[in-house]
Amino acid sequence: MRLSLSRVGYAAMAVLGAATLLAAGPGATPAARAAETIRIASPYQTTTLDPMRSSTAGNIETYGLLYGHLLLSDPQSGAPEPGLAKSWDISADGLTYTFHLRDAEFSDGSPITAADVVFSLQRIHSDKKSAYPAPLSAVDTITASGDKTVVIKLKTPFAPFLGNLQIWNMGIVSKADVTRRGAEAFTKVPLSSGAYMVKEWRPNEKLTLVPNPHYWRKGYPKSAATVELKEVISPETRLAMLKAGEIDVMRAVPWTQIDELKALGTVDMKLEPSTTIYMTLLNDRREPFSNPKARLAAAYAIDNKAMTKALTRGYGVPANTTLPNGVNFHDDDYPGIPHDIAKARELLKESGMAGHEVKLLAHSSATDQQTALLLQAQWQAIGLKTTIVNVDHGAWVDAIHKGDYDATAYWWYNETSDPDLAVRWAVCGTCGSHSYYTYYENPKVDELVEQGTREADPAKRAAIYKEIQKISTEEVAQIPLYYAPNATAYSKRLKGLRLTPSLQWTLEDTTIVK
Amino acid sequence: MNVLSALVRRLLQLIGVMIGIAIVSFLMVHLAPGDPVSLLAGDRTNPAVIAGIRHQYGLDLPLWRQFIVYVGNLMHGDIGRSLRFQQPVAELIVRFMWPTLFLTGYVLCLAIPSTMALAVIAARRPGGFADQTIRAIGIVGLAIPVFWLGIMMSRLFGVTLGWFPVSGYGVGVGDHLYHLFLPALSTTIWLVPVLTQSLRAALIDGTNADFVTAARAQGASEREIFWKTILPNSVLPTLNLLGVMVAFLIGGAIIVEIVYAVPGLGSLMIGALLGRDYYVVQGLALVFAMATVAVTLIVDLLTAFIDPRVRV
Amino acid sequence: MMNTDPAPVPIRSFRPTVSNAIAIAILGGWLIVALAARQLAPYDPDAVDILNMLAPPGATHWFGTDQVGRDVFSRVLFAARVDVFLCVSGVLPPLLIGTGMGLVSGYFGGAVDGLFMRIYDLFVAFPFFVLVLAIVGVLGPGLVNFIIALTLVGWVSYARLIRAQVLSIRETEYVQAARCLGYSPAVIVTRHVLPNAIGPVIAYAMSDAVLVMLAGASFGFLGMGAQPPNAEWGVMIADGQAFVQQAWWICLFPGLAAVSLGLGFAFLGDGIGQIQRRQVTA
Repeated sequence: MRLSLSRVGYAAMAVLGAATLLAAGPGATPAARAAETIRIASPYQTTTLDPMRSSTAGNIETYGLLYGHLLLSDPQSGAPEPGLAKSWDISADGLTYTFHLRDAEFSDGSPITAADVVFSLQRIHSDKKSAYPAPLSAVDTITASGDKTVVIKLKTPFAPFLGNLQIWNMGIVSKADVTRRGAEAFTKVPLSSGAYMVKEWRPNEKLTLVPNPHYWRKGYPKSAATVELKEVISPETRLAMLKAGEIDVMRAVPWTQIDELKALGTVDMKLEPSTTIYMTLLNDRREPFSNPKARLAAAYAIDNKAMTKALTRGYGVPANTTLPNGVNFHDDDYPGIPHDIAKARELLKESGMAGHEVKLLAHSSATDQQTALLLQAQWQAIGLKTTIVNVDHGAWVDAIHKGDYDATAYWWYNETSDPDLAVRWAVCGTCGSHSYYTYYENPKVDELVEQGTREADPAKRAAIYKEIQKISTEEVAQIPLYYAPNATAYSKRLKGLRLTPSLQWTLEDTTIVK
Repeated sequence: MNVLSALVRRLLQLIGVMIGIAIVSFLMVHLAPGDPVSLLAGDRTNPAVIAGIRHQYGLDLPLWRQFIVYVGNLMHGDIGRSLRFQQPVAELIVRFMWPTLFLTGYVLCLAIPSTMALAVIAARRPGGFADQTIRAIGIVGLAIPVFWLGIMMSRLFGVTLGWFPVSGYGVGVGDHLYHLFLPALSTTIWLVPVLTQSLRAALIDGTNADFVTAARAQGASEREIFWKTILPNSVLPTLNLLGVMVAFLIGGAIIVEIVYAVPGLGSLMIGALLGRDYYVVQGLALVFAMATVAVTLIVDLLTAFIDPRVRV
Repeated sequence: MMNTDPAPVPIRSFRPTVSNAIAIAILGGWLIVALAARQLAPYDPDAVDILNMLAPPGATHWFGTDQVGRDVFSRVLFAARVDVFLCVSGVLPPLLIGTGMGLVSGYFGGAVDGLFMRIYDLFVAFPFFVLVLAIVGVLGPGLVNFIIALTLVGWVSYARLIRAQVLSIRETEYVQAARCLGYSPAVIVTRHVLPNAIGPVIAYAMSDAVLVMLAGASFGFLGMGAQPPNAEWGVMIADGQAFVQQAWWICLFPGLAAVSLGLGFAFLGDGIGQIQRRQVTA
């Protein structure tokens, strides 16, 4: 039987017609665009606007823009400067901090009072859902004395306390709003106390911010421009967007793209100081790395200078201790564990772990894959049978917590220039993180960590942290790989914008060049 | 062929498919290692805190109980909230749906005419120069991974030549056409060879059919035979293939959306998968299921329309 | 189809066609490469050479080296194994399962067809990436699990293709005739319906082979942690993407290899089609 062309023709027209209808979608009218926009593209997502719920990369940057802090830090010296607190007193015994608040308002005009400060800090300190209460671990009580005074009492003297108050989750939120609306207060447009307020939050796509008219700092932000924080996963896409002029700032520039961007006349390719360290975690909970000699052997086998050059194309600095070089009291002179294959083989034989299998977890980015391959090759060369297992971050976290790995290369950074939080995170076995889930534990190191927190004299603190670095590096709490600057590319049309080592954008100080 | 009864039957069958998808997607995403709460809160969070939040969301209940709660909510039309963003999944899906639908429509508008043209040219003289060239170019189009092609085109047409934007969706239909041209083209370049191969083979087969021979015996010209007889009879398998591909496109536009930073369902899906945002993933699975059933229904109706012998 | 006599026509002489010759040359060539990779490759494909990274093609490394100093030429040769295997095992099971389902569903129609159609819908509706993530999460990463996932999703295209053909063919005169003559459904389906319906399926299988071969590349690009082992053309292209500005050779050579294998399949499809057509015409 013959099918007629006309039937096929009608069918084709129907399909094309439907396709065109689909394509038309709901006709959206072009919105009036802000006169000027600063567009930042980052692979890190903003997943929540509540500073209590998260400590992940994208959220950190957002909190700093939306919420004001008691103290700011001087861009040059890092010393604490007045923020929402116009002045403060510290008692002689170092246990009582009294903050005097200035007159300031939230983005809806309601005043920022001591009650709000107490509420905000209290929820970070003791709420059951608080993602990162560690900076306030030394705090005993937080109380309001009147409308404009906040009194914080510590359990023990805590040298880094003022620095910790500048961390991103110490932003001040509105007690009245959060108590009234609960979680809803943060789902669309929260009340801001910082330089910017939310114009629109499109999760998984972008966050649009506008200057907060009630920001306490008069004249800031310097530019009236709208800020768009766009979430773009693929680094090649970010690069194309920057080159095509569709964004002004590219966060997280991969090492392989730096040269290309340096050659571009329209872009400032900056390698900004950071407190980021790339290192290899070794699982001390099971063999082979439960054996200290095996860990040492693994460390001798790694030529981190050659790896740094290969991976970062020379833009990273080989790491010598378990702490980032951007924190105070980093021991720049410590020689670190040298590259010695013969010694590595000898130590491995002595440990009895020669020929043992090593499960090496690897993330999927190009640099992570390269790192894993180089580690594998160097460990195979001394007799450790290393297998690479590719995982996404969810599976990685799961495996790390369960101890279902032997080694993995990853990174961490410190929120402040003070090393207290850094050592608690990375090398302290009893501080909650189990030395970043390696379960490395040395009671001497833990004791030194506590001493460092309490000690006020900088010279003595330097000695303490030097000792901590020496012991933890020698005992291979982790294998240090390299220190990575924040590689960020800025369009030349922006002036005054940078990413600080605590991962905050200086958008308040940014102006657009005509 | 009773369209109305076919529709009703399909709607009823849709329920079966949705239940199947709900079960399978629920299991799949819960069985994968990794946990949404710890991914949201970050590496620094205390396991006790994470356990507490999981308890609050009911994530530590046995899987079957969680499933029953989920299905119960589905009955009320509630497909849940995103664990990360705390916003309703339905709202998220509706927002991200339009760019993907637009892109799919765009791809169809580009692919269907091209496929028909190329397959016809190729099948006229099988083994001829035009045929071989079309097939060779087709293989190249297929063999280039779509992300690679996307990135190269973005560099060439977007950055170097500046003809098209390299990202985003734009505002307004004209802007959409402009922003989505490169993504649509990247997809068309692998889709057209697949469909063309199929249609060409069917056309060549059709040339030997008995009714064709009969038509030739009756003195009809080759040209007439081709357009009026061979082509209509050859379209059906390719139409079905197109149906499968469209369903795949709606769920599979992920790569193109990532490369061109288009805020569509694919980019929502990948974010939800990496963040283990269970309800978003499950909600998306249900939406894809509905889209697939709809597409299958349309293809079957068109098939019955073109070939009245076929019983839907 | 001129064949009004329901009895099958035997394959007369297997006269090779030009298409078949080319197909055999290309595919046979890659098969040999795959089997003899160890002998043919000048270097160990996994040998990392940190000092020699991203070296351009030259006398010592014909195709250059990649981002950890591995020889690209050797890797392309060894990858042939994985990719040839991937093509065949990623296409054959879906083809067999899909064709079987489609034949039964299309020929018998009614409730059977209805049931099968809903099963098709279920599998097609399923977001492929969720499926692979889950399979990898539960069963672990690796080539076999990847192929399982591909099979679970891929059979539907074949089923729909052949079903569409079958729906038309079963109403033709000779099929009606065969039914009247009392031939069992099995005979009718295998000897009359199938040979006439298989054309577009073979054509699609050839494109599918190429798509399947490169599916690993998509996963490498997305970073889902599900990709097959390293030396595989698709993954080489995905991994090399980040370095393409400095080292175009990392992506180009595996790409050319994939294209050539794809061409081989295209000619094979042609050749099979020609034989099949010769068989069904008197």
